[in-house]
Amino acid sequence: MSDICLYFQVHQPNRLIPYDFFRIGEHAFYEDDGLNARVLSKVAEKCYLPANAMFRKLIEQSDGRFRLAFSISGTLIEQLEHHRPDVLESFQELVATGGVELLAETYYHSLAVVHSKKEFERQVDLHLQKLEEVFSVRPRVFRNTELIYNNAIAAQAETMGFDGILAEGVDWVLNGKSPNHLYRAPHVTRLKTLLRNAALSDDVGFRFSDTNWAEHPLTPEKYAQWLVESPGDISNLFMDYETIGEHQWEDSGIFEFWEKLPEAVEEAGGQWLTPSEAVDLYRVADEYDCHWPTSWADSERDLTAWMGNVMQQEAIAKIHRLEEEVLAAKDPDLAHVWAKLQTSDHFYWMSTKGGTDGGVHSYFSPYGGPYDGYIYFMNALADLQIRLKRLKEGPRAK
Amino acid sequence: MNRLRVLKLGWEFPPLINGGLGVACLGLSRALAKHVDLRVVVPRSAPDTTFDGFTLTGLNNLRVEDLQTVEGRYRYESFARVQRVPIHLDPYDDGETTLETLEGIPGGEVRFSQTTRTQLEQFKLGELYGHDLGTKVVEFSKIAAKLAMQDTFDVVHAHDWMTFLAGVEVKKATGKPLVVHVHASQYDRAGADARGWIYDIEKYGMEEADRVIPVSEYTGRVVSGHYGINLAKIRPVHNGADPVDVFSTRKKFPEKLVLFLGRLTAQKGPEFFLEIAAKVLAVNPDVRFVVAGTGEKLRPLIETGAFHGLGGHFHFTGFLNKEKVNELLSMTDVYCMPSVSEPFGLSALEAAQFGIPAVISKQSGVAEVLKGALKADFWDVDLMAKHINDLLADEELNARIVEQAKLDIAASTWDAAAEKVVSVYRELVP
Repeated sequence: MSDICLYFQVHQPNRLIPYDFFRIGEHAFYEDDGLNARVLSKVAEKCYLPANAMFRKLIEQSDGRFRLAFSISGTLIEQLEHHRPDVLESFQELVATGGVELLAETYYHSLAVVHSKKEFERQVDLHLQKLEEVFSVRPRVFRNTELIYNNAIAAQAETMGFDGILAEGVDWVLNGKSPNHLYRAPHVTRLKTLLRNAALSDDVGFRFSDTNWAEHPLTPEKYAQWLVESPGDISNLFMDYETIGEHQWEDSGIFEFWEKLPEAVEEAGGQWLTPSEAVDLYRVADEYDCHWPTSWADSERDLTAWMGNVMQQEAIAKIHRLEEEVLAAKDPDLAHVWAKLQTSDHFYWMSTKGGTDGGVHSYFSPYGGPYDGYIYFMNALADLQIRLKRLKEGPRAK
Repeated sequence: MNRLRVLKLGWEFPPLINGGLGVACLGLSRALAKHVDLRVVVPRSAPDTTFDGFTLTGLNNLRVEDLQTVEGRYRYESFARVQRVPIHLDPYDDGETTLETLEGIPGGEVRFSQTTRTQLEQFKLGELYGHDLGTKVVEFSKIAAKLAMQDTFDVVHAHDWMTFLAGVEVKKATGKPLVVHVHASQYDRAGADARGWIYDIEKYGMEEADRVIPVSEYTGRVVSGHYGINLAKIRPVHNGADPVDVFSTRKKFPEKLVLFLGRLTAQKGPEFFLEIAAKVLAVNPDVRFVVAGTGEKLRPLIETGAFHGLGGHFHFTGFLNKEKVNELLSMTDVYCMPSVSEPFGLSALEAAQFGIPAVISKQSGVAEVLKGALKADFWDVDLMAKHINDLLADEELNARIVEQAKLDIAASTWDAAAEKVVSVYRELVP
């Protein structure tokens, strides 16, 4: 018998224009503003607006017994501010119900933690500031980009003052143990680790509309039964918000499913908790010793979704190599442009994986393929390097 | 001397395809037309394009009736040699005609089949180098022979292997001498070990020809050494270069630009360019290397570049149209052509017209034309890199090479090429 902790990741990247060689040195705007606005509006209409309205209603109807958590990336909040303030407002209203906990992450939804501790901390601070400014909240629980996690990241999160951290419950670290408990990383004293229940999360996130799945169609009652019967303290359902209405389309019945689930869970005898409530309520069951970075992406559940091939490795290494120079320039706009190029999606689109995972990579790619993605990114990077050079040489030249 | 009449057989022709072969055929045809009466036959021509001084016939604009007067008059010889068993030469025969397609004749001759509407149709549709290339080549040769029988001329001149069979057929049908022009061979495209039906056609065409004109001495050595053709009938003639409107663009970035331009195939040596770039960047980071073009080597090249950490200084533009190529040339500092085997290499001359010094492989025809260009074996990436570094650092050397290239270009005209070609004709038709 376990409680249920529901958390949605909400994020949109800034896709680049087809930045060809001839733009290098003269075209300082890398992002496809029009495309980003179009995608944002499409997702807003299909997912954010109707889902926000639904969850707000569910929280209010249940007198706050139904509760959930969101992590909203800084890049998305910015896009909403620029293009869809109405959608941002609907998130603010949802948070104002009191039934929603917001989590901290890197502002730019980046892999900074893998490359620079300093930049990682800078981005988490930026995100905390943004949440304070937009939602007037201070998160207690941290979730890193795409649940990238290991012992060191847990330790880092503790030093930064967080009480909990989210991670993927990977089989080879769990080693037969259940993800339905709170865990502690070695060498941390306070911070608790919440592990995603991959099977239960993916039932809704991935398999829901798969008519070949033996359990199709998944009813709220059946799923609620699975949840409360899942042994342990707490079942962590972590997934992308866009699975509602965007990845699982409306006609799959996904909205009706979520609309009925809270009540079905209560009827089955389960209760909803947010991550910080789980951290307060439950003790740590065991140590979770995770040396190698894990994530919730691809079947590998590691960093290969973003750093699996040489193009990705080069691109991500080169953008981070500029850190010192960019920050030394003390130009906030330039630093912002640079940091937005760290967003994990840029590297995700350069993946050359095949199979089902490869299909997911290319489904989300705005480009002709991974090679185009790499070329546009590296050209934009070259332009950024030229701007840096000009900044440094500028005063001397004049 | 009477004005010579020449029947030229080509495959691509502008404005329909602007590959190197088509450009060269057009340039040479224009210049030849000043000296000879010229008719050019190609598989496909734009219906409403006319050229000064010569006529262009595209099989796509031909009607079956146009061939009526010669149907049945010609016995097909080249293939008769393999006619010990009955074979069928019309894979697309649709039974439109009641005439038999092939007729075995004692002694191994086969009567030519009547050209059907469908056979002419194929020159209107699809790719010139599509999956049915073999059929098109065979059909082209049959129809060209028929056209030749309706015409009067002194010499037939065939360009590259696609038209070699046609050239041989025309020679056999009319008894006129055959000149074959080698713009590129299977040796260049597929390497020294390349064999197969295209190689066989090339070798057969050159053997049957009275004269072989390779586009360079380098290609002449391939023709004699690799195809075993008698040196006595090889007459290299360098291509000309049409003058281009040269302009210069200010680069938008401070670094020097080194350009590779061409299809990304093994023949063009793009991997060597990448190695050269790595060597130059190791000593001089203020350089950008640009690969303009696309091809089967693009993806491996991108990945190798990333592996070497060259991204950000090693750029890929993909395929560029002429306008973009010229824009790129107008800002280029050094042109690099590390081709593994380049029969001529017109692009190096075009670059030279833009005042760009070139570093080119010794395995190229243009190395014979650009006397001042810095040269190295295609595999000698150390020397290539040294040449580039020297050109970027030494302004005097740079200026000297550009000056010499101007003189070389001034001599590289299609008129000069045409005069040499006419003298080759005159050896056959005094």
